[in-house]
Amino acid sequence: MSRLQPCGLAGVESGMTEPGFDGNLDIMQTLGLSWYRGVMNDEDTDRRKPVRDLILRTIWASSPRQAAGRVFLAALIGGCQSVPHGGDADMEMAAAPDSTAMAGFLETHCYACHGAKRQKGGLDFETLIMNDGHLVDQELIGRILAVVTSGEMPPKRRTQPEVEEVQAFLLDLNAQKEALLAGIKPDPGRVTVRRLNRAEYNNTVRDLLGVDTGPADGLPPDDSGYGFDNNGDVLTLSPLLAEKYIEIAEDVAKAAVARELEDYDRSLDVHRNILVCDHSALVHNATCADRAIRHLAPQAYRRPISREEFNQLKHFYQLAIDHGESFDAGMTLVIQAMLVSPHFLFRVEDIPSPNDTETHHYLEDYHYASRLSYFLWSSMPDETLLSTVRSGSLRNPRTLRDQIERMLRDPRAAALAENFAGQWLEFRNLQRSDPDPELFPEFNDELREAMAGETSRFFTAIVAEDRSVLDFVNADFTFVNEPLAKLYGIDGIVGPEFQRVSVDPAFRGGLLGQASILTVTSYPTRTSPVLRGLWVLENLLASPTPPPPPDVPALDAVEIDPGATMREKLTKHRENVSCASCHDRIDPLGFGLENYDAIGKWRGEDNGRPVDSSGVLPDGSEFSGPDGLKGVLLERKDDFVRCLAEKMLIYALGRGLEDYDEPALNEIVSEVARNDYRFSALVYEIVRSLPFTKLRGEAESS
Amino acid sequence: MTSYITKKHLDRRTFLRGLGATLSLPLLDAMAPAQAAASVSASVAPTRLGFVYVPNGVIVPDWTPSAEGKGFDLPHILEPLASVRDNLNVASGLSQLNARSLGDGGGDHARASAVFLTGVHPNKTAGADIRSGISVDQIAARHLSEQTRFPSLELTLESGKLAGSCDSGYSCAYSNSISWRTETSPNPPEGSPRAVFERLFGDKYGELNAVERDRRRSYRGSILDFVLEDTQKLQRRLGPTDRRKLDEYLYGIRLVEKQISWNEGEATDAADGLEVPESAPKDYAEYARLMFDLQVLAYQTDQTRVVSLMMALEGSGRAYREVGVKGGHHQLSHHLGDEAKIANLRSINRYHMEQFSYFLEKMKNTEDGDGSLLDHSLIIYGSGISDGNNHSHSELPILLAGNAGGQVATGRHIRYPKDTPMSNLFLNTLEYVGCPTDTLGDSDGRLDYLSGLDG
Repeated sequence: MSRLQPCGLAGVESGMTEPGFDGNLDIMQTLGLSWYRGVMNDEDTDRRKPVRDLILRTIWASSPRQAAGRVFLAALIGGCQSVPHGGDADMEMAAAPDSTAMAGFLETHCYACHGAKRQKGGLDFETLIMNDGHLVDQELIGRILAVVTSGEMPPKRRTQPEVEEVQAFLLDLNAQKEALLAGIKPDPGRVTVRRLNRAEYNNTVRDLLGVDTGPADGLPPDDSGYGFDNNGDVLTLSPLLAEKYIEIAEDVAKAAVARELEDYDRSLDVHRNILVCDHSALVHNATCADRAIRHLAPQAYRRPISREEFNQLKHFYQLAIDHGESFDAGMTLVIQAMLVSPHFLFRVEDIPSPNDTETHHYLEDYHYASRLSYFLWSSMPDETLLSTVRSGSLRNPRTLRDQIERMLRDPRAAALAENFAGQWLEFRNLQRSDPDPELFPEFNDELREAMAGETSRFFTAIVAEDRSVLDFVNADFTFVNEPLAKLYGIDGIVGPEFQRVSVDPAFRGGLLGQASILTVTSYPTRTSPVLRGLWVLENLLASPTPPPPPDVPALDAVEIDPGATMREKLTKHRENVSCASCHDRIDPLGFGLENYDAIGKWRGEDNGRPVDSSGVLPDGSEFSGPDGLKGVLLERKDDFVRCLAEKMLIYALGRGLEDYDEPALNEIVSEVARNDYRFSALVYEIVRSLPFTKLRGEAESS
Repeated sequence: MTSYITKKHLDRRTFLRGLGATLSLPLLDAMAPAQAAASVSASVAPTRLGFVYVPNGVIVPDWTPSAEGKGFDLPHILEPLASVRDNLNVASGLSQLNARSLGDGGGDHARASAVFLTGVHPNKTAGADIRSGISVDQIAARHLSEQTRFPSLELTLESGKLAGSCDSGYSCAYSNSISWRTETSPNPPEGSPRAVFERLFGDKYGELNAVERDRRRSYRGSILDFVLEDTQKLQRRLGPTDRRKLDEYLYGIRLVEKQISWNEGEATDAADGLEVPESAPKDYAEYARLMFDLQVLAYQTDQTRVVSLMMALEGSGRAYREVGVKGGHHQLSHHLGDEAKIANLRSINRYHMEQFSYFLEKMKNTEDGDGSLLDHSLIIYGSGISDGNNHSHSELPILLAGNAGGQVATGRHIRYPKDTPMSNLFLNTLEYVGCPTDTLGDSDGRLDYLSGLDG
């Protein structure tokens, strides 16, 4: 099964924003028109416009799915009459797009290396191509689009195709891809049952029982999949973990009861979950036990409980009483059992037909509420959210919006910074960062925490103030405390408390100027333009690079002077064509950040030489320094939004994305743009998307 | 009765020093669980297995002895093994060719660890459908699970990354584990010495009287029954992948159920007076020795017979400043022939070997039945990568320490034909613990020469 590459299929390049074209951006993005610049990167500026017009006309004609989608959307929003009509004739065209140019191009320029005789990279188009001249593998098409667009293929040492030839080929290929997309049946997919990860366990017992000691901190770490540690397929449950669940349930239950006993003894008039009656906690009282169980268990299981489930739990209360123990001991045992029930430990989303892959079910409202709360809070739904489920109003768009806005402003939304942003931006890895103490004596645990604190607060500010997500790239403010202000050379900040400060965009502002990110993308002794460039490509742009070739034998052959600068070494490295195809894209982005040392401090010199922070992108355009790099990113803002949306959808769902998720992703991205890129719009669109709202089953055997 | 849990403010440096000497054989017998007592008699000590993994390959020329057979030389990296040279074999020529790309592109580090003990080419995925093979330690563990309290222990001296991907589109699960309980369930290793210690010697109910202890145990039994019943009932309403996830929980719970018969109090007595550091020591050697001490204790008290330990996770970027190496291990491993980097790598390889040597000496000096623990063990040390610079999975650096209860003759450098499957070694390994198996991963027969009887 082909899957979406991390961070996207398509990459729209800049330069498509002249009047008359803005409204078509999403369409061009869908079509992967990133080659516009690649093809026209030279002195042919005078030829640009006619060619682009031609391309756009052709795209219009060959993108019925999008056109149809736009008509539908236009009908919904009641406007935009200029949208072309997507009729039946178009649909037929989609089913069999013309492919002459494509087949010819492959034969002339590709078969020599990727054909029946040779299969470089394991690719054999001659075999893969259908009798009617079509390719039917969406991922493969995406890869070909990317490499031909960037000019990476055909290799420079071989005969280069004419510009017109490339254009015709790419149009064919795009049409092919569109036809495939149009053929994708709507599919919400399925999510493997997720156990609570460590953060979710901690937050859930905090919100359920008031135990905020982080009992799950001692559990073995959760592995991550697709960049996040809430992935159902990857969250295994080892024997060690099962053992620990049994143990910490006992500790948590005891702590919860002890806490309420204390409140009770001190006659504190606080809401109690366990000691729900006003009798002495030590006296057995079946009615009170019933009340407590009926109060707690539906919260723990995040849905109403059955009579049988009630009886099961009540049995534990009775067991303790039968052993001559008191009310509090009985309730401790009940809670202990509750906390190891699979209904607590796993986020169960059962559907009526678990083996039926065709029928799409809306998630039950209770499950939907849990998805929402674990997405935004990494914790259980609260009473307010559950009440919307009981009243049946949660799925009402207005209620849903209100709930999302409420939840994003709640302190519990700090979990989104901690768990989503911490992994998306990788600043969680600060805990493992280990800068060389001799080279970076100012780095210590205080500074480490300050770095994470800055990015956390910055993210939370964008969430809580519902700012544009583009502020992640070019905000003019940040948060610093004394240790961080010192590192940044900002005067007048005293003490460990963070303060919001305005920053000069030439030096700081946006994620790229934050020490957390600059540190986790460095080696212990030096910066790494490669790691930083990759970080930008993978986490901010919809542009993954293929991994390096498996055996890297070429590296041995490259003779590099050990005394050369990193830039010189990397330049030498890019002389090797097989390295250059990716590193031409990676390295320049990293060079743009060379003014920051390995812990994010500004530097004008490196090893006695002035820092060169200029970069040349594969399309020949140049930029310099972090400010220039931000400009590059803003020109590609749709790539950025798509990347963010994709990461967040993966996190919200707890699974990787598949081909059939692409329509949903496209819709999220275009709606976010339509809503001024507001953060809450991103969350809202994810929450109402097909994969978040529905589920299907899984066939019995593979 | 004292419980170690109450000993809060302790000097971590004094932990476990010289502990081996304090545990003598009679104690060991007393501590064995009832059902295992029969198999741990003084005359027939069980065979223990150990697997020690080092990441990023080694500097091969400084590893491989030039002489073969007995009396082989110890190149720079192996030098620390001088005192135990007669108790081990250097095995050259073994390969894990299923760790190669085989059309999957980059990701040699992830594959190296995933294949090391399984011999199976892992499915390339960032999450969905994680799959490798059942690892040799887990086949043995399952076979021996009735004999000991824990079927196996998985340990690590490094914790995984907390964000981002680990290697070229492979889920971090592949590079963070070498042990696979099923082909879809890797066993994440434990990195906290305190957690390991508590697992082995902790006694939650240490301060309770006998009646209360019994009551707690019976409660726990009821809770486990409840979980089993509830989980099975839930499974009936779910699809195949979800059922498999819940199977993992069922398996774990059944093991806990089995452990209830273990008398924690006695183990705690044995460990009385030990001191436990709250967190992993920063100094690598101290950390490694602590974990190895615990491993020896686990064998010695026969709480388990199978242990795997990762000296660092595959692809590790640790800076070994303890031996003057400032750069990250992985970053250095692509040395491009740079002599300074090669020297650094050699230091790291040798430093790892010093720790391993400490472990083997300790095993050798620990009485066990009619000999030493090392006599009754087979400890396999190595990496899933030979030359880290080019990610080769051919002719891996492998050491085989211990005699497996007289089943392996030691003191030799054995050179096998190039690219002999390392999986073949695992067939022998399983035979030594009474679990003969015909195939594992890419095996094509048992290894010759190990018994010393076939030339």
